[in-house]
Amino acid sequence: MEYILNQLINGICQGSIYALMAIGYSVIVGVVGMVTFTYGEIMMIGAFSSYYIFTGLSNNLPLAILGAFAGSFIIGSIVYKLCYERFFNAPRHISLLCTIGISMLIKNLAQIVFGPDTKPVLNVIDNTTFTLNLFGANLNIRLLQIVVIVLVIVFAVALTLFFNKTKWGVMLRAVSQNKDASYLMGISVKRTALLGNCIGCGFGGIAGILLALYYGSVSATMGASYSTKAFAASVLGGLVDIRFSALGGLCIGIIENMGIIFTSATFRDVFAFAFLILILIIRPQGFVSKKGARV
Amino acid sequence: MAETILKVENLAVNYGYIIALSNINLEINKGEIVTLIGSNGAGKTTTLMAISGLVEKRPGSKITFKGQDITKTAPNKIVHMGMCHVPEGRKIFPALTVYENLRAGALGNKSLTKARFDELVEEQYTLFPRLKERYKQAGGSLSGGEQQMLAIARGLMMDPDIVMLDEPSLGLAPIVIEDIFELIKKVRDMGKTILLIEQNASVALSIADRGYVLETGNITLQGTGQELLVNPEVKKAYLGA
Repeated sequence: MEYILNQLINGICQGSIYALMAIGYSVIVGVVGMVTFTYGEIMMIGAFSSYYIFTGLSNNLPLAILGAFAGSFIIGSIVYKLCYERFFNAPRHISLLCTIGISMLIKNLAQIVFGPDTKPVLNVIDNTTFTLNLFGANLNIRLLQIVVIVLVIVFAVALTLFFNKTKWGVMLRAVSQNKDASYLMGISVKRTALLGNCIGCGFGGIAGILLALYYGSVSATMGASYSTKAFAASVLGGLVDIRFSALGGLCIGIIENMGIIFTSATFRDVFAFAFLILILIIRPQGFVSKKGARV
Repeated sequence: MAETILKVENLAVNYGYIIALSNINLEINKGEIVTLIGSNGAGKTTTLMAISGLVEKRPGSKITFKGQDITKTAPNKIVHMGMCHVPEGRKIFPALTVYENLRAGALGNKSLTKARFDELVEEQYTLFPRLKERYKQAGGSLSGGEQQMLAIARGLMMDPDIVMLDEPSLGLAPIVIEDIFELIKKVRDMGKTILLIEQNASVALSIADRGYVLETGNITLQGTGQELLVNPEVKKAYLGA
């Protein structure tokens, strides 16, 4: 019982990182209107930005988060210029293939620039563990886990407020729903899509630093497996719905960690993707409900 | 002589090898309701899209809006100049609330102050009381007629000089169509110029000051609304007489 509850806590923590990844991914897909394959590398850039701030400057978490956001934001704008802007009216597969190419390029350049080895990210947050006694079971919660969950909630709320309360938020949502109508409203669709892409990438960067903190390491190839998780979570949420994508991420995190109670941790991906397939068989549209829309 | 607000000269558009429009000449004066009628595939929507800059025009075409050449201007810049295009099929933002849709409509006008924005929202609510009742509801959950009202209100939020309506009666019940056309007259009385595109020729001509008849990419007839309404050719082709 104790083990199961502790795994649940691990799952919630990991799931919240996946949720943040999925939120960023959904923003990109929603606003740009195309799937991206560079997201893993964007997260890796965020993680490395924070790594260099930790090692070069200080163990200042807010500064590192800002750095990760900025690093990924900038790379995101380059990706947008190379993969999307030129091909806005071209068939979609051209942008898609372009993102695959750019993803390979970034990954390999990163191995040259940052080095191919895994680098440690340690002692940023105290290794304190709190023990809670719940119905006779001892629950261990690390300070790191609390920090991660709180950060994810803070950023998710901030993004929701940005989308709902600001002029730019309305603009981004308008573009994600109907690009032609947005043109007719006088919105510069390309500039708005660029902003949306960069914000999504920035969130990917923050997810990158959280992964670095959680696993205590960064490497140039870390992005690949997480980008598929972000994609899976986003698909569960209907690809463009931020709230449901976050829920998808949380579910995948919990399912993975509960699944490995019964087997080895190497099988965690099996549970994540089996869950995805199962949900898509039952509800092909994902968690999102399309009820009530009449367009 | 009334002031010309929009002038279209020699407008020609091709879709690949297909000629969609050729030699279209239109003139719209300030404060008028001008209608462009024609059957399916005549090129009505293409004309509007060409004016808004959404389709590429052939060399030689010239469009002047408020005295400025806008032939090669980007669509969002044309909107900033005060031209509003309410597209066919409404194209409201389904997941935004009614209020947010109105807010999105105001994005095109950069000189809008907060006070003027609030004033415009109130104006829309007076013009379309139904929207006020539903301001918190998602745009996609409104009925067809209400969505059309929202699309028009959203367009008016940018405080435009000219409103171009593309088939506002499409897919609506006759009683709702009457309401919409009454509203169009009210919008004109507010001092806006209106270019109305319709398949429903009789209703469109009855409220229009002037009209143009478009057939397979060419303008074949023009005159005042009343003239066209009694024109034997128009009667035969569009009014079922």
